[in-house]
Amino acid sequence: MPEFTLRTLADQLVNGLVIGNIYALIAIGLALIFGVANLINFAHGSVYMIGAYVGWVCVTWLGWPLGPTFIVVAVACAALGVLIERLGLRRLQSEARIAPLLATIGISFALDQLVQLIFSPNPQSFPSPLPATRVMLGGVSIGALDALIAVITVTSAAMLFAFLRFTRLGWALRATAQDREAAQQMGVDVNAIQALTFAVAAVLGGIGGVMIGMYFTSVYPTMSYGAMLKGFAANLLGGLGSVPGAVIGGLLLGLIETFGVALLGSTYRNLFTFVILIGVLVLRPTGLFGARRAMPPEPLTGTFVANSRPVRVPRFVVIGGLVAAVLLPFISSNPYLLQIFTNAWLFAMLALSITLVTGTAGQMSLGQAGFLAIGGYASALLAMRLGWPLELSLLAGAAIAAALGTLLTWPVFRLRSQYVALATLGIGEVINQIILNWEGLTNGVLGLSNIPPLSLFGLPIIETSPIYWFALAMLVVAALFQWRLMQSHLGRTWRAMREDEVAARAFGVSLNRYKALAFIAGGFIAGLSGAFTAHMYSYINNETFAATTSILGLTMVILGGMGNMSGAVVGAIALTALPELFRPLADARYLIYGVVLLLLVRFRPQGLLGTV
Amino acid sequence: MNRFFNRCASVRRSKLNLLSVFAALAMAVSACAVQPPPAAKLPDQAAPAQPAASTEPIYIGVSGPLTGPNARYGVQWKKGFDLALDAINGKGGVRGRKLEYIFEDSQSDPKQSVVVAQKFVADPRIVIELGDFSSPASMAASPIYQRAGLVQFGFTNSHPDFTKGGDYMWSNSATQADLSPALAEFAHNTLGLNRLAVFYLNTDWGKATYDLFQKHAQKIGAEIVAAEAYLPDEKDFRSALTRVRDAQPDGIVLISYQADGAQIVQQLATTDLKVPIVGASSLHSPDFLRLGGAAVEGVYIRGQFSPEDPRPTVQAFVQAYRAKYNEEPDFFAAHAYDTMNIVAALIEIAGPDRKAIRDAFTKIKDVPSVIYGKVTFNPETRRVANPQFVDLIVKDGKFVTWDGSQKAGR
Repeated sequence: MPEFTLRTLADQLVNGLVIGNIYALIAIGLALIFGVANLINFAHGSVYMIGAYVGWVCVTWLGWPLGPTFIVVAVACAALGVLIERLGLRRLQSEARIAPLLATIGISFALDQLVQLIFSPNPQSFPSPLPATRVMLGGVSIGALDALIAVITVTSAAMLFAFLRFTRLGWALRATAQDREAAQQMGVDVNAIQALTFAVAAVLGGIGGVMIGMYFTSVYPTMSYGAMLKGFAANLLGGLGSVPGAVIGGLLLGLIETFGVALLGSTYRNLFTFVILIGVLVLRPTGLFGARRAMPPEPLTGTFVANSRPVRVPRFVVIGGLVAAVLLPFISSNPYLLQIFTNAWLFAMLALSITLVTGTAGQMSLGQAGFLAIGGYASALLAMRLGWPLELSLLAGAAIAAALGTLLTWPVFRLRSQYVALATLGIGEVINQIILNWEGLTNGVLGLSNIPPLSLFGLPIIETSPIYWFALAMLVVAALFQWRLMQSHLGRTWRAMREDEVAARAFGVSLNRYKALAFIAGGFIAGLSGAFTAHMYSYINNETFAATTSILGLTMVILGGMGNMSGAVVGAIALTALPELFRPLADARYLIYGVVLLLLVRFRPQGLLGTV
Repeated sequence: MNRFFNRCASVRRSKLNLLSVFAALAMAVSACAVQPPPAAKLPDQAAPAQPAASTEPIYIGVSGPLTGPNARYGVQWKKGFDLALDAINGKGGVRGRKLEYIFEDSQSDPKQSVVVAQKFVADPRIVIELGDFSSPASMAASPIYQRAGLVQFGFTNSHPDFTKGGDYMWSNSATQADLSPALAEFAHNTLGLNRLAVFYLNTDWGKATYDLFQKHAQKIGAEIVAAEAYLPDEKDFRSALTRVRDAQPDGIVLISYQADGAQIVQQLATTDLKVPIVGASSLHSPDFLRLGGAAVEGVYIRGQFSPEDPRPTVQAFVQAYRAKYNEEPDFFAAHAYDTMNIVAALIEIAGPDRKAIRDAFTKIKDVPSVIYGKVTFNPETRRVANPQFVDLIVKDGKFVTWDGSQKAGR
């Protein structure tokens, strides 16, 4: 039936272009902010979500037509954008780039929770006020909303183009993006320009939110994360910071996803997306349209690692802390407290691995949860299917995580700075998707149940205190191992690579091999943590080591201080304990968590213990 | 280690600040954590800890999502629990004591549900635990409950392995083994649909339901022409719907939750595919109507209770629910309501004792239930035997019992 396939093709094309238009709107905002402020704005997804809610209030509560609704959404989101710039960026301007990044994570937590508190976590119905009729245009069926989305995106992009191209303000914006200092010397008020950029980006994001709300006929508080992921992906595809690249990246992403689903089914959506994304990055490390934009000349240090003096933790404090940790089960036998600290030790291992890869070797990793997952699955499967003794399966799981994870990360090694961050985010997603879809090995969504409990030399370790000590012992061994590595020639080489890749290469350092070594060492530690977790839980599936775990781990590292091993442990304890501390606040506890994170960054931008 | 930490000069002021902040944090956590002394190792103590004359309420621990992506289910649970407790405590409670629950938010996240589990097992006031919501969160906590001898009553846990975690794991969730064949028979035998396109939520619940559905559908002679799995965060079904349209089904089956089910039906309305839609009992929710609007009109649901069911248990629940919350009850709230009533029946027999409550599961018989009619547990599977089903249809924005008319007439 040839005409039938042609019709399908045309329909899928429309499906892909419509969703791609919305991705493009989100991506443009991210690209503008990245261009001007050199910041990956994690709060952008929340702006988009709030735009959707404002639109929903106007349309369903107030019964307004779409025109005034879009104006109100634009004004509200612009104000929100300026506020985010003020809170998240302006005061932190002189600090390391990582501080605003963390601040935007805090803001996005707080905003998402605030909306959930006000409007409840239930999705809200957002019926489109447009007629539901569809017209046939040359064999393609197009709805009124599809047309509106296309018109608004094209208009927005054209207006933005005209603004950037023909107005003095637009020139000032582009000048700031090209060279902030030079623009400032020429009399451009770069702070005002930056606020303007945030406002424009927020307006585009908010309008995208309203349209997606109508397109999917509902709005819900958690819509921000997925949108952000798609915005990042579209940006990477087109080339970070490039506005035309963002538009084309968004459209391409929409088409790739839609045809991916058409070929393989919905479950493969993200797998398809990220495999193609990583493929593009490997072939063209600056994205499809970023070629003419040179890589930022600064080495990673200037971008991510703060110039600060780390807090010197005296040896007696470290030893005292360790002794206190060992003795804790004798002081309080409360299993609740011990479980919190057991979790903290396991997360501290994840944080150590991130601090090694990101802080010491300079490879910003947002996919480290993938190593946890591989370690957990490998160890569980070895123990269940092959009956390996636990101590062997734990180590083998960690080793497999190190080897397999590094192999999967290999394509990323030729990328630099922010591209590494976003590409590793993609790899984490790919690992998750493989676990989900490789049912023969991983049992898919049903997961692995009845994983053998922890044991050591045949003695089962099932009580809370022994589990606590086991986790603590693993952390100590991992920390000593990592500390030795950092003291060695290898550690110096990693730091050299982090400070300046070009200089390191000039001195004969083979970058890829040293990056691989960092991922192997870090992957082993993370894999061990994941393996331990799997046996402690007795059940894991694809959700156990969700992608947000990577972001949580990175937040711990940044909070404690990049590259700082004691900082990683302190960050892990703080972020494991804080949500528990706020438990009496019930629904509001993640709101407070976000605000506290924001305040910590505001007053201690280089991390609690400072960056090494 | 010195060389490493001494590499840079010290900054004394900030160090002191930091250490004190950190110490304060640590102290606060431990202060929070120090519950009443952990005399909680109850499993071997047969007799109730307190004298029967105590007027203290009896506490039930609930671990579930109140924030995060699954928060809406936790909110529905609360409504069902509160409604049941209104009635139970209005009649003077159980054994002369009021029944209360402590709801700890886990976000349905395993690393939080294990912490919550430890908190509950250490709290001697808690006599039974309900939840968690998702399988990863519930089953990660099972070893802790099993070890401490506190019943984990996973009332939404349909994962076939959940109750295999130990003899303290019980569930009154219908397993897919009951639900799936009933759904297949409704679609094929009752509605006469032969070419089925199935959308299913790719979670442990949806996948297991689909696998059994597919087997049974084949057995009774229905053909599955398209099967679309989707992840819980999926919103864009247009591409999948185009695929389904091309497969030319004569009916669509939704193994979905309320929000995603409503999305599929709404997005289906924008295509030119007009065939009957049959949904699993999880769609029986006012949210499905609210989110689906006019598009869900005429959708068939193989439900587990009908608001029009004349049974007094159902009517008491439906009337009280409408009065209290001014909305129609849903499947999750009904389930929570039933569960709290079962818990009351258990404590009535066993008293506030953890081990006795576990043993009481085999003793309670024919507890009135909205969803099952009457609940009796099978001591082998630790689940409920023989759930019942009713056929519903959405008519004028309401769920009504389907009278067998307008067959396949959407």
